[in-house]
Amino acid sequence: MTPSSASGTRAALGPGTLEMLVLKTLDAGTMHGYAIAQYLERLSHDVLSVEQGSLYPALERLQAKGWVTSKWAQSPTGRQARYYTITASGRKQLGTKKTEYDRIALAIARVMRST
Amino acid sequence: MSLFDGLRYRLGAVIRPSRRARDIGREIAFHLELDAEQRAHASAGTLSRGDARIAARRAFGNPTYMQEEARRMTAVEWLDSVKRDLAFAARTFARAPGFTAAVVVSLGLGIGANAAIFSALQAMLLRPLPFSEPDRLVDVGLTRAGNPNRPAADDIVWSYPKFAMLRDAQHVFSNVGLYSADPVTVNGGGGTAERVDGEVVGGRYFKTLTVLPIVGRLFAPEELDRVGAPPTVIVSEGLWQRRFDADPSVIGRTLDIDGARHTIIGVMPSSFTGLSGRADVWMPIAAEYPAELTATWDLSFTMVARLAPGVTLAQAQDAVKTLGARIDAATPYPSARERWGASARPLDATRVDARVRRSLLVVAYAAALMLLAMTANVAGLLLVRAKRREHEIAMRVALGAGRARLIRQLLTESLLLSLAGGVAAFALAAAGVKLLSAFNPAASLRVQNLGGLGVVSFSRIRLDDFTLLAAGTLALITGLLFGLVPAMHATRASLAAGTRGRHGRSPRRALGIRGRGALSALEIALAIVLVTGSGLMLRSLRKLTDVNPGFDASRTLTMRLNLLADSSAVRASTSYYDRLLMGARATPGVTSAALTACPPLNGGCNRTFVELLDRPPVSSNDEPIVGVHWVTPGWFALARVPVLRGRDFSRGDVAGTRRAVIISQSAARALWPGQDPIGRPVRVGQGGFGKDTGLVVGVVGDVRYRSLDSAAAPDFYLPFAQSPRPAAVLFLRTAGDPDALRAPAERLVRDIDPKIPAFDVRTMDARAGDATAQARFGAILITLFAAMALLLATLGVYTVISSTVSTRMREIGIRVALGATRARVSWLAVTDGALVVLVGTVLGILAAFWSTRLLGALLFDVASSDPTTFVATIALLAVAAMTAAIAPLRRAARADPMTVLRQE
Repeated sequence: MTPSSASGTRAALGPGTLEMLVLKTLDAGTMHGYAIAQYLERLSHDVLSVEQGSLYPALERLQAKGWVTSKWAQSPTGRQARYYTITASGRKQLGTKKTEYDRIALAIARVMRST
Repeated sequence: MSLFDGLRYRLGAVIRPSRRARDIGREIAFHLELDAEQRAHASAGTLSRGDARIAARRAFGNPTYMQEEARRMTAVEWLDSVKRDLAFAARTFARAPGFTAAVVVSLGLGIGANAAIFSALQAMLLRPLPFSEPDRLVDVGLTRAGNPNRPAADDIVWSYPKFAMLRDAQHVFSNVGLYSADPVTVNGGGGTAERVDGEVVGGRYFKTLTVLPIVGRLFAPEELDRVGAPPTVIVSEGLWQRRFDADPSVIGRTLDIDGARHTIIGVMPSSFTGLSGRADVWMPIAAEYPAELTATWDLSFTMVARLAPGVTLAQAQDAVKTLGARIDAATPYPSARERWGASARPLDATRVDARVRRSLLVVAYAAALMLLAMTANVAGLLLVRAKRREHEIAMRVALGAGRARLIRQLLTESLLLSLAGGVAAFALAAAGVKLLSAFNPAASLRVQNLGGLGVVSFSRIRLDDFTLLAAGTLALITGLLFGLVPAMHATRASLAAGTRGRHGRSPRRALGIRGRGALSALEIALAIVLVTGSGLMLRSLRKLTDVNPGFDASRTLTMRLNLLADSSAVRASTSYYDRLLMGARATPGVTSAALTACPPLNGGCNRTFVELLDRPPVSSNDEPIVGVHWVTPGWFALARVPVLRGRDFSRGDVAGTRRAVIISQSAARALWPGQDPIGRPVRVGQGGFGKDTGLVVGVVGDVRYRSLDSAAAPDFYLPFAQSPRPAAVLFLRTAGDPDALRAPAERLVRDIDPKIPAFDVRTMDARAGDATAQARFGAILITLFAAMALLLATLGVYTVISSTVSTRMREIGIRVALGATRARVSWLAVTDGALVVLVGTVLGILAAFWSTRLLGALLFDVASSDPTTFVATIALLAVAAMTAAIAPLRRAARADPMTVLRQE
């Protein structure tokens, strides 16, 4: 993973998309920021390797919108970490985003496969 | 629910921003640490801890940037930057405490003084009277055409029969009522004997004013207009609380008024104190003064009327005029043919006397001028400051600050200043209004003819919402306007202009000086107007206090006494007075004691006709009118009124002996010019002379009974012992502090008869002080404003010359280097300032000539264009301007070419 490839990926990943991915991740259960980053990397097989730091502004934004809440708790290693949980309206938002994404992805796929 | 989660989260960021920042910091640190550990672990020892940490950092991106980004997400960034702006502004002000204090104090004084004065103006002149539909209330008065002996008069009070004729014939008013102030002594209920203001009323007085009792009822028609009804009284809420503990079952109980039992039928709310201003009791005219119902020429009642629905004021005025002529035809003036009539005017027009109105307006005008000077000064300060900061601002623009961001920063500073100024103004206004309400107008302004409505209005002076809003807006506008303009101006400065150097002379810089110069000239002009006005008022006040009132007020305590007004009490008055004076003279500290009926400087006393029996009789219409006074032997000596000829009254001048009369010097000159008045036979009205003849036994010096600025009129004095009076003023002279006599004298009066209270207990000095109260009030306020304006003008001139010197220091340095003399250089520095002073002075004198005409009627013995005052004002301004020039001139004169040039 070179910095240039990372920055290339980052450009393709708008803030809205990152938010959607975080919501999707948290849908699986409560976890802290680092875990979210690991999860995203692993699931996307490093293709979607975002600059990890940009996760935190996204988490703040999600909290400001009320889609995610957080709580400080002890991590398994004994350190204090902030654990994020998706809220009911966050799930609703995830649903909307997913439908929208499916529609667009389908549309793009149709266009790309034509000719 | 989730919506609230979000809101709560945002709110947390606003309320505890540092905690939020710490949270994000901690979280990022945790992330980096964990990631580094994971990497070190995964590499199985090939990666050192340090390298692992670096790798984690690289994967993370810039933590500081991310932290900032995270904080921005909660949308607190805007508020956050406002807070930063405020903190920055506060720091800037802390670094320039002189500037900050000058602006805040200027705004505070200017706006605060205006708010306080406007509050007074609002209550006295502008706010509607506290009755329902006050614009439908009308004052109706009798009028009398002038003749060679007597000037014309309007708004004369009514007699009951004349009022009844108008009431029964008119169709333009829905209700008409009558009242007359009637001070009484109250006994009964809880509490000691008390002297209170009261009113006797007739017609539909309460219905006209649409006031209703809070307990009980109004007078029934048969109680109001029929002789022989049992005495009834309506009391004020205040008296009800004082004497009856606000007991609702007070109706039907009795109150002793001037010795007679009255049944209480109602209680008036505290918001109503009668048109005479401070009434505590109301009684029907018919029950108190039955003879008035038929006394056609006993003019003692004021009429108030309410316009009938649909009737305009003009229609009512026409109708009243017609009715006035009919009433005059039906009840002509007895002895000579005099034309009487009637006229009507809005009740509101009668609330303050023209002089009080004028002095209020003058003070408000002066306050407005001072506000203008303050504003000019603040504008100038901000302008100069903006100039000084041009360099700093240009630097910040060069470093990438956005213009909008910079303007916002500068505006924040202005608004912060306005806010501080506004708070200062509010504090000052509140203090001023409190001071005004602490003032008792009924006691202190009596001499200035502040009528009942004036007292009612005065009691309503307060800081109202409108005034506060206006003051706040004014502070805000001043801040915005004088903050925004220099801000726009300064941020337009290009990088080149701003960084060229502190002493580069860009055209804008010259414009700044010109702007400051114009403001400074304005300040000088305003100062001249105010200083001239203040000078005139002070000269007038000085002349007023220099007037010899004809008596000595020092070390004298005075108190009023009213015997209960039944005839046996009046007959017994002589023995009461004897006991009182004997007791008073035996009181430790009292050196002499005497009685008079009406104290000097009272705003007027009784007047009556006199028959001169040493010459052929004249028609009663041509008999001279004189002031009539009653005194006991020794009063002239006590008040230090000189006996010029003949003698004082003596203990021998008692009932049954020849009536003795003493006249004033003015009376002697007017009635017996060039002759000796001693021994002349006279008959004096109100003296109970009947067919008796009195002899003039003495001539005394003139005493000003009305006011200091109205010359003494002819006065006649009669002894109490020969003409008993139910009312008197006790004079006590002491060698020490007259206030120390207060308690023993009041005890003495109570001991002689507990039902007769001493009231209006004041030193004669205090009474004399009241006589100049209005003149002093105006003079002091205007002088304060003038002093502030003068100070501002001086500061303005200083700023102009000082900034000229700063800007031209380089030029001055070069000139000195080339051999210019100190004098030449000083002149160079002072030209701008001199021009400003000249322009300001010329404008100021023109404005002062125009403005001081406003003062005309308020000045005593001083012309509004008094040359001495004008010359003194200009001299004062010249001294102030020169003082302002000294420091900067010395700086210019000391300019060392080497130092100046090296600074560049």
